Amino acid sequence: MGLKENIKYLFSYKLIGESLIKLNTKKSYKNFKPPKNWRTDILAPPLKTGVFTKEIITRHYLEGRYVNGVKPVAWVTSGAPIEILKALGFYILYPENHGALCGARKVALEISEEAEKRGYSIDICSYARTDIGSTLSKKTPVGRLPKPDLLLCCTNICQTVLYWYRVLAEYYKVPLIVIDTPFVYDEAREHDIEYVKKQLEASIEVSERVAGKSLSFSKLKEVVRLSKMAAELWLEIMNANKNKPAPISVFDQFIHMAPIVEKRGDSETVDFYSKMLDEINDRIKNGIGAVKNERKRVLWDNLPIWYKLKFLSEFLAENGVSVVASTYTNAWGELAPMMDIERPIESMARTYIYPILNRGTGHKLKTMETMVKEFELDGAILHSDRSCKPYSVGQMDQRIKLLNELGVAALLLEADHSDPRAFADEQVISRLKAFVEMMD
Amino acid sequence: MLHIKIPTRREVIEKAKAEGKKIAAVYPIHYPRELFRAFNIQPIEVWGPPKTDTKKANAHLQSYICSVVQSGLAFYLEGGINVADIIVVPHSCDSLQGLGSIYKDFIKPKQELITIYLPREKNRENVEFLSKELKRIYKQLAEFTHFEPDREKLLEEIKKEEEIDVLVAKFYKSRENLPLSSREFYTILRAREYLPVELFKNILNYALLHSSSGKLKKTGIVISGLLPEPMEILDVIDEMDGFVALDDMACCMRRVYGEGSADDPFERMAERIVNSTPDPTKGSSVDERADFLKSLIDISGAKGVVFYNVKFCEPEYFYHPLLKDKLNESGIKSIVIETDINEPISQQTITRIKAFIEMLKEESRWA
Ligand code: SF4
Ligand code: SF4
Repeated sequence: MGLKENIKYLFSYKLIGESLIKLNTKKSYKNFKPPKNWRTDILAPPLKTGVFTKEIITRHYLEGRYVNGVKPVAWVTSGAPIEILKALGFYILYPENHGALCGARKVALEISEEAEKRGYSIDICSYARTDIGSTLSKKTPVGRLPKPDLLLCCTNICQTVLYWYRVLAEYYKVPLIVIDTPFVYDEAREHDIEYVKKQLEASIEVSERVAGKSLSFSKLKEVVRLSKMAAELWLEIMNANKNKPAPISVFDQFIHMAPIVEKRGDSETVDFYSKMLDEINDRIKNGIGAVKNERKRVLWDNLPIWYKLKFLSEFLAENGVSVVASTYTNAWGELAPMMDIERPIESMARTYIYPILNRGTGHKLKTMETMVKEFELDGAILHSDRSCKPYSVGQMDQRIKLLNELGVAALLLEADHSDPRAFADEQVISRLKAFVEMMD
Repeated sequence: MLHIKIPTRREVIEKAKAEGKKIAAVYPIHYPRELFRAFNIQPIEVWGPPKTDTKKANAHLQSYICSVVQSGLAFYLEGGINVADIIVVPHSCDSLQGLGSIYKDFIKPKQELITIYLPREKNRENVEFLSKELKRIYKQLAEFTHFEPDREKLLEEIKKEEEIDVLVAKFYKSRENLPLSSREFYTILRAREYLPVELFKNILNYALLHSSSGKLKKTGIVISGLLPEPMEILDVIDEMDGFVALDDMACCMRRVYGEGSADDPFERMAERIVNSTPDPTKGSSVDERADFLKSLIDISGAKGVVFYNVKFCEPEYFYHPLLKDKLNESGIKSIVIETDINEPISQQTITRIKAFIEMLKEESRWA
């Protein structure tokens, strides 16, 4: 740890930056009103607690600017078991979340092109392209990203991350921990769980070396406890949408899921989601729906289309369609019950092998079918995301099953989560119109 | 040019069936051939096949899935795999993982479906994991065939494959001394994808008999990728007075496994696969891959590397820019060519390969 870095961190982040952001949040919360261009005619106002989402994420990226040399920094994949790193005091950055942010701020294309110029194919995942482009050009909408001291890649979301993190390891010349999670076609076998557990155990030594300290198991248990609590609250928030009208839309969830991904294991994340749950329960009490005229309720499958959230949300709301459930946001809550605070490593091995993306196409169909029944849905939008093969393969069969066996309207929407070149406006509008008609 | 009669896949399948063997249709890439042979099962690999009409697969797969998986599924849907009793899908990438899952959950083939999870890095724990995974597959095969080959039988089949690997290595080593075009060389090598062990061994031995002391006076190329399809690429290289001196291809060199050291057959099979040459689908490091390519250049005296990449193949894509840089730093030129195994090789690709070889020749003249 350098003295200069510490002073800068304390002064620029802790003393000035953090205080200003908090003050700003206080003001925004007190004088809360929807943004000027918010369609109050068709949508409920945004959640007031949403100002804390902004605060948490802004503080997180601001800390990132000054954190090198103060805390060890790890870059990790979105489904990675971060509890050990958290307990060791790492600052954790999720390049996929940064990619999502770039997508939502509509700068992903410009940054990806930096990678494409260097020979990275347009056919690789746009998150990876954005991240590599940002690494090469230093372009980012958050000012500056901290350099990693350690990379943690877990294959429980895709194999793509494995090759992507090899590239990062090459650019940053830092240790890479790979947690390889065998794909679960039916149920995970004992040797699969054992395999993951051994890798988790082996990862402790490398992480300790980089952090320069030993892992405290009581701290690990505390992180697992907080992680589990936050995930349970998140699950409750999503399940609140079983009410009619649904209090928040999946588009809101896409925005407010950032802390459960990025700040899992922190006490402030638990506080934040319990506040949000209170607000949502108030909405339910007062009969407030996210979409004012909720006529139809649908499901979203796969990643969001970050650069079109507003457009999609408004287009659907205009037609009385509320997107109330999503396999994607559900992924950060559904495994919470599997975490066992008393057996952190074992339960992490079991939990982290079971994300929806590491399970078969039939399991995803079952998840969607359960959602259709429990959330009383009329249709499903399956975003066929050309960047994300593991999520998208199987959707064509899933769509037919939803249509024929459950009798709900099901639309396959071709796009990409971050790359706007894969989004054809007119085609999407006409397909969405046909989808709405199908439900009427 | 050698006159070698290599039986076709169809002939091998008919003969195997007549002998009472079962057939396993195996998708790419890594699997233990010896395990299947010990059960009297003939593995027939499904690398595409190329030039398949993939329309039928369009009902299950989006257009951004690679042509190897597209045609692999279309081939099944057209009845091309009907003769098989077993379908094997190794977990090589997200697309093959998806294919295995679609088979299991939606298509539900009449054949026994076997999936194999392959660990990544070279270490003891991964050998241990894979040997457990292979024991699981052993049990599945035993239930399916009502037969349980003993330890000796397994070791016997492993030894045979190890011998073949040594022979294949010799075949590669003799490349320059063999009067074979690149297409002929790879047609012989790739016959391993479906031939019984003895037959393949005889063919290799016969070809090696024709090895001479005279060397090919041509420009050597190392080709890297999944498979050399469409095979016309090999003709284009030869036409330019070039030849494929060595390869880093999934269907060939990446599956020439070393000898195992364990006495336990499952561990030995696992060792062979886990310790194989660097491979993007295993997430090998960029340095390992670059060093491997450089060693292929050193051994063969080849002048450059052609990355022959199947469109939409993410495992390969990620490595190209850094591998190109590292090769370049060592004075080795390389080129990336994109291919769809179901499309004829384009005029533009032909022109690029020709220009690349021309440049390599020019450089050697001045060297
Ligand atoms: S391929 Fe899919 S799961 Fe993998 S990093 Fe990209 S978006 Fe995420
Ligand atoms: S070509 Fe690439 S993407 Fe396609 S099956 Fe092979 S490894 Fe997978």
